[in-house]
Amino acid sequence: MTRSLLGLGMLALASMAFALALGSVTVSPADLWQVIQGEGSTLHRTLLLDLRLPRTLAAFGTGGLLAVAGALMQVLLRNPLADPYVLGLSGGAAVGALLAMLMGMGTLIISGSAFAGAMLATVLVFGLAHGTGSWTPSRLLLTGVVVAAGWGAVITLMLAITPSYKLPGMLYWLMGDVSYARSPWPAVVVLAVSVVLIMPLARNLNVLARGAMQAAALGVSVRPLEWTIYVLASLLTATAVTTAGSIGFVGLIVPHMLRLILGNDQRIILPASALAGGTLLVLADTLARTVIAPEQLPVGVITALLGVPTFLYLLHRSR
Amino acid sequence: MSTLNTRDLIINVPGRPDGFALNMSIEPGQVWGVLGPNGAGKTTLLHTLAGLLPARSGQVQLNSAPLTALKRRVIARQLGLVFQERQDSFPATVLETALIGRHPWLSPWDSEQGEDQRRAEQALTTLDVDHLSDRLLNTLSGGERQRVAIATLMTQNPNIWLLDEPTNHLDLHHQVKVMNLMRDQAGAGKTVFLCLHDLNLAARWCSHVLLLYTNGDACWGPVANMLVPDALERLYDQRLITLQADGLTVFVPAP
Amino acid sequence: MVSHWLNFRFALGFLVAFLAHPTSASEMQRCAVDDTGKELCLSAPAQRVITLSPGATELMFAAGAGDKVMAVVNYSDYPPAALELPLIGSHTRVDMEALMALDPDLVVTWVTGNPPAQVELLDELGVPTFAIEPRTFAGVSSVIERLATLAGTELEGYAEAERFRVGIAALTQQYAGVEPIPVFYQVWEKPLMTVNNEHLIGKVLKLCGGVNVFGDMQRLIPRISAEVVLQADPDAILTGSVDGVSDDQLDEWKKYAGLTAVEKNNLFFVPASPISRPTPRLLDAIQTVCGKLESARENLESARENL
Repeated sequence: MTRSLLGLGMLALASMAFALALGSVTVSPADLWQVIQGEGSTLHRTLLLDLRLPRTLAAFGTGGLLAVAGALMQVLLRNPLADPYVLGLSGGAAVGALLAMLMGMGTLIISGSAFAGAMLATVLVFGLAHGTGSWTPSRLLLTGVVVAAGWGAVITLMLAITPSYKLPGMLYWLMGDVSYARSPWPAVVVLAVSVVLIMPLARNLNVLARGAMQAAALGVSVRPLEWTIYVLASLLTATAVTTAGSIGFVGLIVPHMLRLILGNDQRIILPASALAGGTLLVLADTLARTVIAPEQLPVGVITALLGVPTFLYLLHRSR
Repeated sequence: MSTLNTRDLIINVPGRPDGFALNMSIEPGQVWGVLGPNGAGKTTLLHTLAGLLPARSGQVQLNSAPLTALKRRVIARQLGLVFQERQDSFPATVLETALIGRHPWLSPWDSEQGEDQRRAEQALTTLDVDHLSDRLLNTLSGGERQRVAIATLMTQNPNIWLLDEPTNHLDLHHQVKVMNLMRDQAGAGKTVFLCLHDLNLAARWCSHVLLLYTNGDACWGPVANMLVPDALERLYDQRLITLQADGLTVFVPAP
Repeated sequence: MVSHWLNFRFALGFLVAFLAHPTSASEMQRCAVDDTGKELCLSAPAQRVITLSPGATELMFAAGAGDKVMAVVNYSDYPPAALELPLIGSHTRVDMEALMALDPDLVVTWVTGNPPAQVELLDELGVPTFAIEPRTFAGVSSVIERLATLAGTELEGYAEAERFRVGIAALTQQYAGVEPIPVFYQVWEKPLMTVNNEHLIGKVLKLCGGVNVFGDMQRLIPRISAEVVLQADPDAILTGSVDGVSDDQLDEWKKYAGLTAVEKNNLFFVPASPISRPTPRLLDAIQTVCGKLESARENLESARENL
């Protein structure tokens, strides 16, 4: 167990080093070293410390958040196809963000509005599913899917009525872009704290994954645990979406891939998801900003291009 | 060794008026069989005894303590349950599934030790599924999955064993094997309580029987007193022929 | 001609004013207020400029500072010299590293064109930014002058601004007495979009004596349905196309034989680029549009005579 986590940790560090070393402007290892030591030219310092470092940290934090949220959602819903957005969280965040953009608000308010929208979506689905009496995975999923569709309709409406010049900004937010992240610290801190908090619950999650009744019979307090996971996953997703918009694939594919390689133990899968999700997004973002520079690609395209073939390969191999 | 008591227990079957109040004492060394037609509430009773469903009235006591006053974890160390229906769950291997049974005994920071592993493997061997250890659960047949579920209970090793129709899907050889296992466990001091579809299994292996009628009536007692053709015919709304062979009593539906 | 004389007078006047002041660079703070109301002061004329929109590029060249522009974004295609300049991404996704590596002393942004997050990042990194987006003819002249001030190209820039001003005045006078003609300007076919009178295109139409049938609508670029166009029944329909060459964007209207504009053969194409950007090329755009509307009036006239 520790070996695989160590390996993933090394991979994560390597990917971040890779991200810091690469960009539209070539920075040699010697220059990199100088900057680390506190010297180096102003340009290099700006490039590394003001541009690449915050962006890399934001990418890592966001990727980790999405992957862990995805893993939690998959256990909560007992469904390998669940992702962080399946219960309409990103929809709510999008509506919050787009509304703020429509009203011409600044970036801080847009972020706050996105977060509020995500939390509202959480409460809404929670309330609806709870109110109907039985909080089973299928019911939760169904409620979430319907609410997500509702948000989608609202988003479409907003895109339709917005003045044309606001459209590009909205579309780019919807596509997700790490370059728009104002500060990496919320993402990184929330990720670190959450992983630490969830580890004691990981064993219980293993049991919960066998089925709610079975878990109860084995001594797990199912309802409180499910609520905890739900709120935590929502918090993680809301932070991720607020930081970099809705980036797809990471939350669905990373936990899945890890399960194919490492098995089902949540005590490994959860921290591994944080590391692997962060690594994937750092690599994807680095490619997105360098592969056809100065053209910049949306990072969601790269995560799909990287994630899908890798996943298909693993699926094929596991047969 | 643990005892399960019911005090004026009336189970909650939605839409059905109160049934007969149950006052049973389910003790170590006993193998109880619950018989009744579909819809009589056998599964509801089992889940109520396990503390997963609230009773309509009355109490379930575990070693004289009301079940409702006990923590889930404490209950799980004394009492284990094999469900009738497989629940929607995540893919896992057979060994992982059996190992889950050790959960009530481990704290959040423990990982499964050699001893836990050994118990799980032994349980799988007893149920003849050890050769499937690394297979994914959803690739197994119904009977094999049933045996894995029983092995999980065995790994959990509680004092009270509750099983909901454990012989479903099993071939004849394994039906006999599982029922023998029940008797052996009771002999070793466990308290065993099963729901059964097949009254002949009850006749042969159970020490006590509870008859649950669709309308809520119930009667219970030692097997010899309970397996009377009159009561059984009323239970199943089916005329029966009683046969004796090799010292065994067998009931078959009358033509 | 009046315009040449004005040009010369202005240039002379400026030269005098320029020479009358001590010219040490460190004393001469160049300040200008951008189109968001923010004031930017540079201690020396900007020499290393980056523009983050095609309009900004064009206006920079108009201000006489084209040779100071180091890099541009996609679609900066006018003047032709701009095509030679290196790219640093698109107006919504700028390659920040490439931008910082060029060490600009002025970045010209577009008020509604660049994402606020990117402009904020530039501000945080200490890069001087200047946001522009003229909405009126006077605004075009003003922005050229302000850019010229920042770039130290006042001679050329102010002259160009004056040329534009004078040009607008002349055209306004020329077309002051023409017969008003109801007109519809199609900005986009699918979805169907037009402009109101606040939009620069709307002002162009007005100058030429066109009465924009959707002029009073609230939004700058309203999305409308074909039905309201049929109801308004304009005498002429105009749209922009590449180089003003006829293409299929107005074909939909030909289905409606009853539409006056179709009947009288008043479907016109104008070059899209000059009319869509708030730059000195608007003078060309105005001349083109006014010409088309003249033809439209002639078509209506001859149709009436033939009755």
